[in-house]
Amino acid sequence: MKPSAPSSDPTARPARGLGLHALLTGLSLAMVAPFAWMVLASLKTLPEASDPAWLPQAAQWGNYPEVFRVIPFLRFAANSLVVAGWVTLLQVFTSALAAFSFSRLDWPGRDRVFFLYLGTMMLPGIVMLIPNYEIMVRFGLMDSFLGLVLPSAFSAFGTFLLRQFMLGLPRALDEAAEMDGAGKWQIFWDVILPLSRPGLVTLAIFTFMGNYHSFFWPFVMMKTVDNYTLPVGLLFFDSEHGQATHLLMAAVTMSVVPLILIFVVLQRQLIRGIQIGAVKG
Amino acid sequence: MNRRVRDFRRLLTGLAYLLPNIAGFCAFTLVPLALSFAMAFTNWDILRHNRFRQEPLHWAGLENFARLLADPQFWRDLGNTLFFTLGLPFAIAGSLGAALLLTRVSRRRTALGPALVVATLVLVASAAVLLAGGLAQRGVLVLGGTMAAAVLVAGVVTGGTIYRTLFYLPHFTAGVATFVLWKKLYNPHTGPFNTALAPVLDGLSAVVRGAPGFFTYGVPVLCGAAALAAALWQGRRLRRRWADGEAGSAAIVTGTLTLGGPLGLFLHWQGQGGWVAGGAGAAVVAGLGGWILRQPRCWGPRRAADTGLGAELSLALAGVPLLLLLAGGLLLGPALPALAATGLEPPNWLGDYAWAKPALMLMALWAAIGSNSMILYLAGLSNIPPELYEAADMDGASAMQRFWHITWPQLAPITFFIAVMGVINGLQGGFEMARTMTQGGPAGSTTTLSYFIFTQGFETGRLGYASAIAWVLFGLVLVFSLLNFRFGNRDVND
Repeated sequence: MKPSAPSSDPTARPARGLGLHALLTGLSLAMVAPFAWMVLASLKTLPEASDPAWLPQAAQWGNYPEVFRVIPFLRFAANSLVVAGWVTLLQVFTSALAAFSFSRLDWPGRDRVFFLYLGTMMLPGIVMLIPNYEIMVRFGLMDSFLGLVLPSAFSAFGTFLLRQFMLGLPRALDEAAEMDGAGKWQIFWDVILPLSRPGLVTLAIFTFMGNYHSFFWPFVMMKTVDNYTLPVGLLFFDSEHGQATHLLMAAVTMSVVPLILIFVVLQRQLIRGIQIGAVKG
Repeated sequence: MNRRVRDFRRLLTGLAYLLPNIAGFCAFTLVPLALSFAMAFTNWDILRHNRFRQEPLHWAGLENFARLLADPQFWRDLGNTLFFTLGLPFAIAGSLGAALLLTRVSRRRTALGPALVVATLVLVASAAVLLAGGLAQRGVLVLGGTMAAAVLVAGVVTGGTIYRTLFYLPHFTAGVATFVLWKKLYNPHTGPFNTALAPVLDGLSAVVRGAPGFFTYGVPVLCGAAALAAALWQGRRLRRRWADGEAGSAAIVTGTLTLGGPLGLFLHWQGQGGWVAGGAGAAVVAGLGGWILRQPRCWGPRRAADTGLGAELSLALAGVPLLLLLAGGLLLGPALPALAATGLEPPNWLGDYAWAKPALMLMALWAAIGSNSMILYLAGLSNIPPELYEAADMDGASAMQRFWHITWPQLAPITFFIAVMGVINGLQGGFEMARTMTQGGPAGSTTTLSYFIFTQGFETGRLGYASAIAWVLFGLVLVFSLLNFRFGNRDVND
């Protein structure tokens, strides 16, 4: 097939465009097939779960309530939501403050400090992991949500993302507000922050998703089963009741389907964020 | 004086807004960083230095690092980590391919009629299967057919957006949940992979048994010949570029290593000893480093003759899958008849030393095709000026020529970014997959450096040693980070 000369006459050879659609449909289905298997397996009985047939004889909706009985799934999900929610709130707030300083305030050495700070994004998290763990032990924050939230409440990436966004807002806004006698804080809170909403939302999605998925830190931090976040809880489920494929898949479905819904609703903002985020080079 | 005071006040205001961020940065990045560095030079062991038992802590000097260099496990895991980065060319090719298809479909408006006709036909066929066979056995065909029809219609109506959404889903949901899912998919007895593969392999073994001569001699000879031809071609090409002054010595080394590196890693995959893996790993790092160093920008003013990026990177990217395929054929060909005689068994994916790594890479590929790379490529493709294609059309360029001479060079900065970020993330990665799916096994074949650090630090409690490994990993990452920072790509390189 010849690549896209933007065809002037769309109806001239519709079958060729259709071939492309058919190919993409096939590829899409291949990408989604694991999810389809997951949902179908979650509706099987235990003996059926080791059966090669994809479909259950009759859908076992009862598997889902059964998951709640076997593991504290809701507890795990709530933990994840609370942790990811707090991290998101704090990180967006601290990043917005820092981004405001780096983009709208003039102070000597500002850009040099910014690039230095940006450079810390290179640091691999694993280097800080062991000492951070020791710090948590010393301060008695092991197995606590505070210890889970605090290290993630600050981010060079978030600062960078919002700075890029705020640099795009016209300078005249600040000047007009200053003329009206607004202080720096008012400019930040009443002018810049509302206008940066798309950027804030993008960062919020990224942060929330990243922390919802995050595994390493909660895995080493959390010792009590009731404190597990969802990823740690799923691993716990797998190691305790891994043979119960149907229940495991029901649990996995319940943790993946909300993500799919979130993504479908918010994909436009996410894609824009990815594009802003990668400009840094 | 007045100015100074004003500057100082400005500085204070600026810093005040930074305060929460900087405080967190100091507490959870700067202090741990210093602490980690110090720990790397001590014999800190959780069994001997804890709340209840406090033996004096010793400065161990470079002892940890010396031990690291002599630790065969470290070299094995470094080899594993580098082997996993071989998935990168596949991921890049997949993302680019997806982006190209999506771009093409969004530019071409398809008339609705034919799609609806096809969708209806699929639905009717599905219903016919349903009626003929009863739901339980064939129901999945009906389900698949209906889904396909729905996606097709949605694709035509939305101009392809639905495909992008579906491609991106695996990346968006990737995490422990999908790892647990794939662990079930890979189950050697009940997983869908092997239940689907079993009949295929039965057919294949029948074919092999029927035609032993070809498989015993033909396939390996063909693969060997192709590999030899590729090596000769690359050698000739390099010599010519050298003679023409198009490539410096760094380029020659790079070119050689892009051939040698993957082969070395392949041997590591086959389990042929640690030193081979170490050598191969060093070769890949040197190769990639050399490739980047020979970018014109690296050495001051751009040399007109040095048109490297597109050619070298594309060669490396295309070369890796090809070489792996050829090496596979070369090794597998002679062994196939013996295997087929007893019937080919589907692999015991995660439980098999040789298959565990490719299994994890396949899963990673699933999540990587529709990832951020695809989104970046989509943006990049829409930014290529259409005049370039129009000019090429005027000159009668073929589709291949248009791709290699316009699309690929125009996308080079994005490819560079994706490749470098991929290596950086790849070097640090692998912990979650290993912990969830294989526990780093079997026999350590999926233990990456980050998992090694975890086992040393959190399971055996050797915090000093684990910190030392972390710093070596940091060194590796830093090299690539600096290269990215220095030669970061704000415009087209080629």
